[in-house]
Amino acid sequence: MELRQRYEEDLYLVRGALGWTALLGVLAALALLPYLAPGYFLYTASLIAAHIVIAVGLNLLVGYTGQISLGHAGFVAIGAYTAGILAARLGVPWPAAILGAGAVAAGFGFLVGVPALRLTGPYLTIATLGFGIAVNQVLTNWERLSGGRAGLFLPKLAVAGVRLPDSQIYYLFAGLAAVLLWGAFNLVRSHIGRAFVAVRDSDIAAEVMGVNLTIYKTLAFAVSAFYGGIGGAMLAYLLGYLEPQLFTLFESIYYFSMIVVGGLGTIPGSILGAALLTILPQQLAGLKQYLPLVYGATIVAVMALEPLGVYGRWLKIKLWFKTWPF
Amino acid sequence: MKTASRLCLVVALLVVAATGAGAQSQERGVTDTEIVIGSSQPLSGPAAFWGQGVGGGMDAYIRMINDRGGINGRKLRLVLRDDGYSPTRAVANVRELVERERVFAIVSLIGSANAFAVRDYIIENSVLWVTPTADANMWAGFRNKKYLFVTYPGYVDEGRILTTYAAQKEGAKSVAVFYQNDLYGQKGLLGIKRGVAETKIKLAGAVPYEVTDRDMSGHALKLRQSGADSVILYATPTQGALIVREMAKIGFTPKLFASFTLADPLMFQLAGDAWNGIILTAYFPVPGVGDVKVDGMLDALLKVNPQLRASPFNALAGVSFIEPFVEAVRRAGPNVTRDSVVRAFESMKNWDGDVIRGVTFGPNQHQGINRIYIIKSENRQYKKLTDWITYPVGF
Amino acid sequence: MALLAQYVVGGLAVGSLYALVALGIVLLYRTSRVLNFAHGDLATFGTFLAFAMLTAARWPFSVSATLSLLLTAVLGAAFFFFIIRPAKESSLLGKIVITLGLALVLQGATTALWGTDTKIFPFPLSETKVYRLSGIVISQLSVGSFAVGLVLMAGLYGLVQHTRLGLAMRAVSQDTVAAQVLGIPVKRIFALTWGLASALGAASGILLAPVTLLDPYMMLDPFLKGFAAAVLGGIDSMPGAAVGGLVLGVVESVFAGYISVRFKTTLSFLIIIAVLVIRPEGLLGQEYKRRV
Repeated sequence: MELRQRYEEDLYLVRGALGWTALLGVLAALALLPYLAPGYFLYTASLIAAHIVIAVGLNLLVGYTGQISLGHAGFVAIGAYTAGILAARLGVPWPAAILGAGAVAAGFGFLVGVPALRLTGPYLTIATLGFGIAVNQVLTNWERLSGGRAGLFLPKLAVAGVRLPDSQIYYLFAGLAAVLLWGAFNLVRSHIGRAFVAVRDSDIAAEVMGVNLTIYKTLAFAVSAFYGGIGGAMLAYLLGYLEPQLFTLFESIYYFSMIVVGGLGTIPGSILGAALLTILPQQLAGLKQYLPLVYGATIVAVMALEPLGVYGRWLKIKLWFKTWPF
Repeated sequence: MKTASRLCLVVALLVVAATGAGAQSQERGVTDTEIVIGSSQPLSGPAAFWGQGVGGGMDAYIRMINDRGGINGRKLRLVLRDDGYSPTRAVANVRELVERERVFAIVSLIGSANAFAVRDYIIENSVLWVTPTADANMWAGFRNKKYLFVTYPGYVDEGRILTTYAAQKEGAKSVAVFYQNDLYGQKGLLGIKRGVAETKIKLAGAVPYEVTDRDMSGHALKLRQSGADSVILYATPTQGALIVREMAKIGFTPKLFASFTLADPLMFQLAGDAWNGIILTAYFPVPGVGDVKVDGMLDALLKVNPQLRASPFNALAGVSFIEPFVEAVRRAGPNVTRDSVVRAFESMKNWDGDVIRGVTFGPNQHQGINRIYIIKSENRQYKKLTDWITYPVGF
Repeated sequence: MALLAQYVVGGLAVGSLYALVALGIVLLYRTSRVLNFAHGDLATFGTFLAFAMLTAARWPFSVSATLSLLLTAVLGAAFFFFIIRPAKESSLLGKIVITLGLALVLQGATTALWGTDTKIFPFPLSETKVYRLSGIVISQLSVGSFAVGLVLMAGLYGLVQHTRLGLAMRAVSQDTVAAQVLGIPVKRIFALTWGLASALGAASGILLAPVTLLDPYMMLDPFLKGFAAAVLGGIDSMPGAAVGGLVLGVVESVFAGYISVRFKTTLSFLIIIAVLVIRPEGLLGQEYKRRV
């Protein structure tokens, strides 16, 4: 058992030889994936990368800051359509389009955060839900902006005029997700992350201690929306086509389930939840009409058996191995 | 607690994704004994009524064909996957169908949004695609339709024809439109606007609704307020029935017209007496209109799968999508490849199946049907009013 | 003027149904602090049970309706006993996700048992028979639902405020541990609350089915509106649920009529958000005092 002797050791993301080996192993597996897996699997892997970014964003808001939001699909939609409009109508190249998507979504996140300062619990849930519905209806009916129900086509991802094949898209998305994950890990370990957790645990006590609620609550919304927007832009480029029905209340609930099933308030939990809930419906697609039954039952089973989510169970497994043979 | 953790670990280790091995074949999806086709449908979720009806109809038809010995010695195998009407899942399903199940062709795919999402992948991989179930007009002007064959009406053309019929034969002077707020309804509205311009009548109002809407009281009031003497419905059975009942309730009785999706006999049950005297379009003979072949097909389908009783119209529509493909495979003979089937399709001239009629393809015509006809509901049955009305071939 | 009155009356009619849905949500939230996202699907399942009894078994309406309410109540209580209670270490959000999973399971079960097609629900009151008062049209069914809704709301209010059982429910919602210490059978109260809330849901479903036509997804929109109405009125206040439902119904109807049919849901939610910003605990909710 390692003893921590310095504060810095507590802050390390990766600890010890075992940690580094595991991390390098995972990175190697991810890098080798295009050589081992068929094309459709790479599509799913890229989709998982986009969902991971979205889920991490939502977890920062719900898990770390305790603000229950059922309107995350609205931020994802704003990001996706910003990227779409920038790329398709204004010819902006994809790096700028993706960043622009994140920035615009973050702006909207800040705007939503302002009324959210007064609301908690189910009241905040309804307010964010309303935001999600409003975004959906505006995108459906403001046809000049979004193309309405006819949708919006995006140009394909290309570098120097050469179109990217599936494997390159996968590397791009995986790299983007890795960078954003690294950012999230560091954010959570910084004073901002601690402020978020303080707001979640008891916002009045936090304010008394000097945590400015206004700044940190709106910041949480903005950061969460930033991640959601980038995830949305990734979805837009992956699918190549956008339609308002891609971003409804159902999707907000879907992202919400991802983080809770994976592990609320943990970043690895978001990764696991996103991966699990993306793969599960696809693997079950052959069950046809029995899909909701099995999918729903799985979610219930996971949550009932392990309230801390999949990552929580993984932590318990690790702990059991660590304290073996007792 | 410990056993639970251990159990979880074991379960996790057992869940290893295995990629299926493709069968060795001459052409992807074709072996000496079978041809594999695939379809991605909304089999769960709010659009499940369509997916289960169409998918069920196709599946029952294929089983009938196989019972009779298949086509030229080969049996057909239909792989159905559920996409819940979500474009991301539709793309994943189509990719898995093509790359993992190695299907020879994709048949149908419900929803314009889903069709748009999978379009580029299917076209680029030269996959044979038979009747994506979306507005046929969406393909006009699209590049590279070599492997695409459509026997489904265009909503814009249909809307135009219905409106001109209403103006010229039924004396409609001003129309109001009740439409579903998606591509289906919006394209229909576009067609109606063209029809209105052609016949110089008035478009008094257009009231949209969302698929999840169930309270139509406001919509009915707006339709009445528009002062129109006719209302055209571009809706699906649930909301079609709801609006018709609501209009009757507030005492608004305009001339009623509707698009072919409401030619479902289900409407008699749902809308009751309010469904009398309504005029609709249809693109294949509707059950009960007196067409022996269609009624016979419906009976045969019900024998194979009695559950289709709940969605007879959709099941027949499913058959109408897949019939031309089966005929093309038959014409291609023992050598079934994508190109031989394409040639077989293009040889079809005014071909009549049991459900779909008058299918014509050619090297420059991949829109197989370009005609509809008008029916009217009387005494809980549909009666044919006109002969086939054609519209220009778009592609 | 008559047109405005018609919109308002239409809004009140549908609003009373939203209020019923909201009541079920509020009842459960007040006692167990769980936002039950399976409420709509439980209601749908109960309504289909009634439908099966009415059409397949051909039992009279009163028998079918009562039985279906009872069966749905049992189903709700079973959920609590076998799924929610064993998951007691779950955080609040965890319980919400469990109810989301339950909603999916119920949807799957409903479609598997009864198919996806739309059906007519046989109801003794007619939706098409109408009464006319000075130019305003109201259907027999709307009058009936409104009346039933009022009776149920009054009954529930009386139950919670004026009976010992209601007192126990209020005690459990304030402090579960203290209630246990005082000898209140907390498990039984929870099970009863879940059962009662589910039965209320089934009742709202049975009243809605003749209006919306019966299909497995008929409660998707009404559940959302009911949830919004519950929050608007104050999610721990039952009169609030009733008021919220009626207000939401009227607001939506008037917006659809005079401003925009396309954006009516957005506008309704914007109004709700505005109200919440001014009064964060909803129209009739108690101001939320917390210990820090």
